[in-house]
Amino acid sequence: MNTGQLSWKRAAVDIFTVLARWLLGATFLYLGLNKALHPVDFLKLVQQYDLTQNALLLNSIAAGLPWFEVFCGLLLLTGIAVRGTALTLLLMLVPFTILVWHQALLLQAAQNIPFCAVKFDCGCGTGEEFICRKLLENFLLILLSVWLLVGYGRQLSLRFSLIKLPSH
Amino acid sequence: MPPISTSHVKDSPIQSPVSGRRATAKNVFVEVLLVAIAGAVFAFAANQISPRGLVLTRNYFPAQKPVSATNATPAALSPAELLAAQIRGNGLQLVDGDQAVKLFHDPRFKQNSIVFIDARDESHYREGHIPGACEFDPYRPDKYFAAILPICRAAEQIVVYCNGGDCDDSETAAILLRNVGIANQKLFIYGGGITEWTDNNLPVETGARNSGNLRGANR
Repeated sequence: MNTGQLSWKRAAVDIFTVLARWLLGATFLYLGLNKALHPVDFLKLVQQYDLTQNALLLNSIAAGLPWFEVFCGLLLLTGIAVRGTALTLLLMLVPFTILVWHQALLLQAAQNIPFCAVKFDCGCGTGEEFICRKLLENFLLILLSVWLLVGYGRQLSLRFSLIKLPSH
Repeated sequence: MPPISTSHVKDSPIQSPVSGRRATAKNVFVEVLLVAIAGAVFAFAANQISPRGLVLTRNYFPAQKPVSATNATPAALSPAELLAAQIRGNGLQLVDGDQAVKLFHDPRFKQNSIVFIDARDESHYREGHIPGACEFDPYRPDKYFAAILPICRAAEQIVVYCNGGDCDDSETAAILLRNVGIANQKLFIYGGGITEWTDNNLPVETGARNSGNLRGANR
């Protein structure tokens, strides 16, 4: 592979990474605001998962999570602490996706319908959705987060890493 | 050319790929911690500032849940039937559509001896409520108590409703009213809610209480 091809490939990866970061950031900003502006609706949706009976904990999740997503979305859009934010999102996305999948299995059993026909509001900020579509969306968000976590592309980032590695 | 020994690389004063990766991983984890702390501070501050923010210490779901909508007995009971069982389990009384219509046409309704309480949020209430019903969003009780408590204390019967179906906001509202001293025997839940009411082409009032803006009145 010659130098020209390499630099073309590198430029393509950089462009894709910046777009991925903006897409992920905008998605979390949108989803977070959707929930943050209707906290009671989100609280009811969180309650349906039977995560806890403790009111303080339940309220903290419903009050904090949407704004936390907004915060992460802003960090990604501006390009601050990109890898740390990507890992934080992964740590939220993976358990949440498992939770949604589990809830869908319960609903499937209760309604006796095919898995992909299960439709409910998972509290993701997009309203009622078919479960297979939701899982696919989450899978894509997980992939984008992993891509950013790997550390590709620092273009158009305000501060890609908060902590600078010592240079020798 | 001599082979490159791995020990030589490890011992090199210049950062080796392995130690570089470790340092990067460590930095990413530190970043996660910083993002988590800053994000939590941002989130709770935003909730505090937001006029729609939640009160963290309030129990928004005072009703006991004896049966879960997703547990066991799947096909046996519909969500509405499960909710009816839950309402009875919480010591509240249910009224059906016919009883609600009777109470609405009862002369005591005009004298405020029978009161309808709409337990939905403000925007839904304004879109259309049972004519003369008082607005009481159980998730913002402090905003409404001053207006509705005197009416509820004076009333003989209080009919609380929300959307109907599996909506349990009417139950939450009734329990809140009971918790502030409204007698339990006065409280009734109209399970069919506004959905059943409008499906039956009964009159609906839009805007504020007693605005006089009515639509649909076949019964």
